[in-house]
Amino acid sequence: MKITTFILFLAIMQASAAVFSQKITYKENDVSLKKVLIEINKQTGYNVFWPPKSIENTHKLNVDLENNSIEEALNICLKDFKLTYTIEGKSIIIKDASTTNTNIPLASIIADITVTGTVRDSKGATMQGVNIQVVGNPKVGTVTNNNGKFILDVKDGAVISVSFVGFITQTFTVNQDNKVFNIVLLDDVKQTQEVLITAYGRKQLKEAVVGSVTTINPAELKIPASNLTNALAGQLAGIISTQPSGQPGQDNAQFFIRGVTTFGYNNTPLILIDNVELSTDDLARLQVDDIASFSILKDASATALYGARGANGVILVTTKEGKIGKTTVNFRYENSISQSGQTLQLADPITYMKLYNEATTTRDPLAQLPFSQNKIDNTEATLANAPGSNPYVYPAVDWLNMLFKKSTLTQRVNLNVSGGNELAKYYVAGSYSLDNGLLKENIQNNVDNNVNFTNYQIRSNVNVNLTKTTELVVRMEGMFNEYNGPITSDGAFQTDLYNIAMHTSPVLFPAYFPADSANAHTQHILFGNYSGPGGSASNDIQDNNPYAALLRGHENYSESRISAQLELNQNLKFITEGLTFRTLFHINRYSYWQSSASYSPYYYSVGSYDKTSNQYTLDWLNPQTSGNNVAREYLLLSRDPSTDNLSSFYFLQSMLNYDRKFGNHTVSASLISTEQQTVYSQVYDIESSLPYRNLTVAGRATYSYKSRYFLEFNFGYNGTERFSPEHRFGFFPTIGGAWVLSNEKWWDNDLSNIFQRLKIRASYGLVGNDNIGSQRFYYTSNVNLDGGNPATFGTNNSYTRNGVTINNYANPNITWETSRQLNLALEFSVLKDLNVTAEVYRFYRYNILQTLNSIPVTMGLEAPISTNYGSAITKGIDIQMDYKHAFNKDFWLQARGSFTYAESVYASFEEPQYNEAYRSEIGQPIGRQYGYIAERLFVDDVEARNSPSQIFSAGGIAPMGGDIKYRDLNGDGKIDGADETFIGYPTVPEIVYGYGVSAGYKNFDLSAFFQGQAMVSFFIDPSRVSPFIQSPDPYVIGNTQLLQAFADNHWSEDNQNLYAEYPRLGVTGAQIENNRQQSTWWMRDGSFLRLKSLEIGYTLPKLISEKLAVKKCRLYFNGLNLYTWAPFKLWDPELGGNGFNYPIQKVFNIGINATL
Amino acid sequence: MKKYKSLLLALLLFSGLSCKKYLDVVPDGTGTLDYAFRNRNEAENYLFTCYATLQQLYDPTTNAGFTGSAEIIYPNNLTQHPISEIGFDLVRGSQNSANPGLDYWDGINGGEDMWRSIRRCNTMLANINEPVDLTAAEKQRWIGETKFLKAYYHYYLLRLYGPIPIVDTNLDITASTAQVRVSRVPVDSVFNYISNLLDQAAADLPPTITNQAQELGRITSVIALSVKAEVLATQASPLFNGNPDYAGVKNKNGQLLFSSTYDPTKWQKAAAAAKAAIDACAAAGLKLYTFNAPGTIGTLPDSLVKVLTIQNAVTEKWDQNAELIWALNPVFPVQGYATPRLTQLSAVNIFSNPSTFAVPINTAELFYTDKGVPLNEDNTFDYANRYGLRVGDAASQFYVAKGYTTINEHFNREPRFYANIAFDGGIWFGNGKTTISDMYHVEARGNSALAGPHDLNTLNITGYWPKKLVNYLSVYDDGFVPIDFHLPVMRLAGLYLLYAEASNEANGPTADAISYIDMVRARAGLGGVISSWATYSNNPSKPSTKEGLRAIIHQERRIELCFEAQSGWDLRRWKEMQTVLSSPQQGWHIYETDPGNYYQPTNALIPVFGIKNYLWPIQDNNLIIDPNLVQNAYW
Repeated sequence: MKITTFILFLAIMQASAAVFSQKITYKENDVSLKKVLIEINKQTGYNVFWPPKSIENTHKLNVDLENNSIEEALNICLKDFKLTYTIEGKSIIIKDASTTNTNIPLASIIADITVTGTVRDSKGATMQGVNIQVVGNPKVGTVTNNNGKFILDVKDGAVISVSFVGFITQTFTVNQDNKVFNIVLLDDVKQTQEVLITAYGRKQLKEAVVGSVTTINPAELKIPASNLTNALAGQLAGIISTQPSGQPGQDNAQFFIRGVTTFGYNNTPLILIDNVELSTDDLARLQVDDIASFSILKDASATALYGARGANGVILVTTKEGKIGKTTVNFRYENSISQSGQTLQLADPITYMKLYNEATTTRDPLAQLPFSQNKIDNTEATLANAPGSNPYVYPAVDWLNMLFKKSTLTQRVNLNVSGGNELAKYYVAGSYSLDNGLLKENIQNNVDNNVNFTNYQIRSNVNVNLTKTTELVVRMEGMFNEYNGPITSDGAFQTDLYNIAMHTSPVLFPAYFPADSANAHTQHILFGNYSGPGGSASNDIQDNNPYAALLRGHENYSESRISAQLELNQNLKFITEGLTFRTLFHINRYSYWQSSASYSPYYYSVGSYDKTSNQYTLDWLNPQTSGNNVAREYLLLSRDPSTDNLSSFYFLQSMLNYDRKFGNHTVSASLISTEQQTVYSQVYDIESSLPYRNLTVAGRATYSYKSRYFLEFNFGYNGTERFSPEHRFGFFPTIGGAWVLSNEKWWDNDLSNIFQRLKIRASYGLVGNDNIGSQRFYYTSNVNLDGGNPATFGTNNSYTRNGVTINNYANPNITWETSRQLNLALEFSVLKDLNVTAEVYRFYRYNILQTLNSIPVTMGLEAPISTNYGSAITKGIDIQMDYKHAFNKDFWLQARGSFTYAESVYASFEEPQYNEAYRSEIGQPIGRQYGYIAERLFVDDVEARNSPSQIFSAGGIAPMGGDIKYRDLNGDGKIDGADETFIGYPTVPEIVYGYGVSAGYKNFDLSAFFQGQAMVSFFIDPSRVSPFIQSPDPYVIGNTQLLQAFADNHWSEDNQNLYAEYPRLGVTGAQIENNRQQSTWWMRDGSFLRLKSLEIGYTLPKLISEKLAVKKCRLYFNGLNLYTWAPFKLWDPELGGNGFNYPIQKVFNIGINATL
Repeated sequence: MKKYKSLLLALLLFSGLSCKKYLDVVPDGTGTLDYAFRNRNEAENYLFTCYATLQQLYDPTTNAGFTGSAEIIYPNNLTQHPISEIGFDLVRGSQNSANPGLDYWDGINGGEDMWRSIRRCNTMLANINEPVDLTAAEKQRWIGETKFLKAYYHYYLLRLYGPIPIVDTNLDITASTAQVRVSRVPVDSVFNYISNLLDQAAADLPPTITNQAQELGRITSVIALSVKAEVLATQASPLFNGNPDYAGVKNKNGQLLFSSTYDPTKWQKAAAAAKAAIDACAAAGLKLYTFNAPGTIGTLPDSLVKVLTIQNAVTEKWDQNAELIWALNPVFPVQGYATPRLTQLSAVNIFSNPSTFAVPINTAELFYTDKGVPLNEDNTFDYANRYGLRVGDAASQFYVAKGYTTINEHFNREPRFYANIAFDGGIWFGNGKTTISDMYHVEARGNSALAGPHDLNTLNITGYWPKKLVNYLSVYDDGFVPIDFHLPVMRLAGLYLLYAEASNEANGPTADAISYIDMVRARAGLGGVISSWATYSNNPSKPSTKEGLRAIIHQERRIELCFEAQSGWDLRRWKEMQTVLSSPQQGWHIYETDPGNYYQPTNALIPVFGIKNYLWPIQDNNLIIDPNLVQNAYW
């Protein structure tokens, strides 16, 4: 009412400024009432006010006014409408006729009771904009403010209802004793109004979605780790995910949507952040606090609009935008302690030496023992710290302990500010995280060699309403990573120190020597090493001492991506109601460089040792002055500009949308065009320097009737520069439909008591993939006209030409890899609070690019020829469940679970016609390994001799008793490649699941999440774990350490266990070559279940938080990867065969989250 | 559908993009194979591409002729693997069909990809008319070179695999499965194809290289004719000429792949070809090499000149070596493996040189006595007491260190023994010392000796080094400074012996045949065959029969071409490899210091060689991919 008065006042002011006619003349047919009223305003100068809803959808009328007065005109015009009017001064006020009494008596709204309260959601966050309404009196009501508070005057005994979209409406009766309310609104699981984010950021009611889309509340992805991809496993039905390493900055999980659905080149999903294709790294660094929505699109209908790039599924993330209201500041700080989840158990040095001796004589009884009894006795003395013992002459080094700390600290800070008004909204966020590694540093050495990964992010999303129908969105983001870590031998950043430590003898040399008298003034660390007969002193000596490898330097990289995005949303209702247009331009620039600095360690060994005086002298081992191995005290920088990487990317998208409801019929349609380009700096030839481009036209049409029947058609029409003009564009249509049975009239109360909601849906269609191989262009050949096949002539070889190399042959027939996808789903709500979505699907992926294996080498081709030959079938089930229940206003409970099963098999595969059917790839699961079937160990040498021959290489050594006996599958009397077959489950799990429970009581909340995987195999790599032998990794020279499990249980003359954990020992790779073959002997069950996270939170009571001047403050303590149940015990099974890698981290974290 | 698509395209165009252009990112001028033949300059580059594989054959460690006969053996228990050991392992019986060693069919495990090389030659020949600025004369020469290479690559496969498919023209990459599944061709057809191609090549090629500074190493007609002689001799040799072992080997369609009967006319052709090659060599000015001491060295005793003549026939600079028919441009890469440690510094700095090529006693005993007959035939030599100790004296001071104790059989040997073999107590002229008053000798007994075993990776497991493979000017002291040389693929002495062999096989022991053997012997300081045998052999009439002379020629060839990557091929074609590898390969007790203990023959390697090993197995996988291919016999 007050506003009306104010407007009236303004109107009067305005009217007094001009003189108008009091008569109206207007003649028009089929005109809207609104237009007539505007005309009246024009002619008379009277301001006309109307309740928009009342005249919005009125029918058209014919007007014929000839010098009529205002009153006459209004009477004529309004006579057919249930509208009335009053004239106050120079204003005409149109009202609904039903509101008989516009002047509500003052007495009736004078409150008896002032009700106050706060509304929160189940997480304890205050809710803004919640409707508080007196039941039966729609005039009395209010909404909660920014702090979730409301105040309302009502009559004693009135019933108020508290409602918000997506939440269960609650009602309360007000009386003198009950007028302060702390209300917790619970998510309405039955609510069909849940909004999903689908392709191109379209917000769609869950009810209307036909495709397969899983959306997760981003808060569920909040774990105490700085890598978002580590949180995906088990959270979203349809994602198969595993994490192969725990090293900060190098710990991205690998993830697949609905499993590995192709054996082609690219099997990873398309990642879209705010509509723009970005990398896994970009997703990994994204701050959960900045995410507004997180969806995965799983079937053809959902991904069709991405056509060419959607075949592997799509991950769709949008970032937050500001909301109208006062400025809100949200702050989060976390501090974590991180430690290895599981450390390797190694045998002690004495056992190591004894078994090394055993390993030597068991293969060659006459061989000289590597360790004398004297050495063993003295090492025992070292371990016992006996008087007269010397840990430098007779070392016993625990390398893992020497190199790695027990735990390390990690900090994360996140701050965001949002707010806005009708004109503009903003969301500005910044974050900082610092992850430290477990590597030790040395005080003698101020080179910072520990892993240290820092991430900074700045994000700003601003929405500006240029006009009532035009919105401009500006998104700016900067992501900056700085990594520092130990030198690695391969130039990648995944540390190999675990690997080096695991392949270094514990008793050969100490990590370093204290200075002897001769070296009293030496400035450098006197690192230990060795040389001698049978030793490996060579030019690679530098990597032999893991401690030196750790301390000698550091390598670092710096990476950043800066992006700017401009989006314009235009409502085109002036053309027709329901039409909107959006255009979006995104550009980003990525940059990366790396460098390293290291010194070259000085190595020493004990030259002479006087046992009586316990004095030793040192020999300097690397005095040479040339080669790789020259000792150097000072740091030298190593920087290779060819590792610099810059790329520039732009993306342009335009979209026309139409969405309108006609009675019971709702139709919508979209037409989208996109264009994107990436150019890279890291190029090696003309072809790789050319821009990578994509073009898309995509469209969507939907129809629904009465929220019961939904029909949807989508298509993507995509172009890529990689194929020949005939195949450049691919057309990928899909069709889908849904039926909400519970919205049918016949769905009576009896049924809805059981199933509150029941929906079935199905979709069928095609999606494509153009990223099918490493070749840049398939339709042109790639020839290196100056390199690769040189020849030199002349007396002194003075004339050389580099020759020509064919890298690829032209193949204009190569075309899109395509997936034909069928998806069936059932969604229902049962027991009021339990929501279930269950889906089954069958994908048929065809035209998978495959290298032709059937071309004999006699063709003499220089490069393989590929063709679109392969196909694969994926079948699977996704189930997502959630349950929410509030027992009363203080106590709520939530549970959720997801289950993903995906099995992909080769349907067709170009392969030779093997004589043995079991060698054929067809019908085998993708990722299933190939190897021998190990029966048991040979009983003795006689059995080994009399069994089918097992020699695996030129010059191979025949097996002995205690070596692995393989099955002669084809019965030809020899074990060779023809006896290998497919064994175990794939190395990517076929089942990933997770379930969690959270509960809140008053200010406390508690949640736990379990995650697991099943139907997965991995293979222990025998050439890397076998004790005493040399690892095949070129940078590792020492002899492999002895795992306790192998020390305890291996075949030996004394313990002829045919099923021992480890077969007969040996000291060279050649001796145990028989046992190093991939076989079922080394196959292990990779399944596990882990307590992934556990969290306890406490929200400060209002009294305290008000004192602290914060709106809300929550303290929480949580843990990550706390406990794992797995059949495999030697290391974390999620590492797979990669057991000597940086372990998966167990994290304990304390955090605070405050809203100001 | 088409309508919709055009509608969509129209929409795309409407959106302001010319989509066709947008996606057409490949600019004109992006290199394709056509550019390789646009002009002479580019085409020359492609010619060199054809040569590239040939030059990769320089590495003896992947040459079955070098590693396959146990002339040199290599330990297989080292912890470091600086060279490819696959070839050396083959004599241990490691060959297999699943993953063959020195697989030149697939280009793996030490082998080069010969089929790929043949395809390049065919591409060259198919496009040779494209370059606009190529003169007719040059075009003719390039055609000749390419045809030679194509023939040689076929020949290389033939020696290893016997009957092979002939790829005369390239199949298109879109060829059908049926077309690409080629079959093997009878071995005589392959020989004839190669010999015919070599004839064509020889006709197009120049006899000598005029611009040596820039072109030395390019193929000449002399090379083509010499290779043809070897090809035809191989065809006539027992392995391929009526070999009963291969009588039943046939293609899947029943076609026999080997001739079942011995054909003596093949030797006639071989002899004629060898004669033609010898004539061509003579016309080109080639002659047997003799050492002329450079001014810096001064006058040397005749005994040392003979040694250096023989050594340098291999290690002399190739433009100075009048005997050299053909060598490859990359230099001999493994001199350091053939050199014993002679100096204090070399023994300290064990990293710089592995010194691991070990010559077994069998090979060392192959060399004649100074009477020019085999050790066990020499009626002046106490064969039974050959391992008896003897101290070096003044008479043999240029061969054995004076006063140093060694054994009887290291004395009174032909100069080729001293040129080829370094042994405990043997004189090593060179290595930085080039005066006769101060010469190195080898000390190899026990690990305190300079050349003795110091550690696992730098030891010689027999006590003999292949001295011929080291230039006498190479210096191994504090580090290894080699004087490079090019290991001959063919030299005149070998061609002479090839002619003698073919002639003897074709016509029996004629004076003509023996005269060519005697030329080689004379250069080595030995008397003629007839007189040497008549005087000193306990089998004086041996040269008078075809079989006797054959044995003499075979041993002569093994001696003359020892360590030159020939015996592995010769012993195969003669079908003598199985005999040679039937006894253990022995060395001395290398860890012993006392000569009495040291000179005890001890097994260093037990070879394994079956009849199947005469030819290589085709990798199993190839037989699965191409069902028309049949495996070699016994694999």
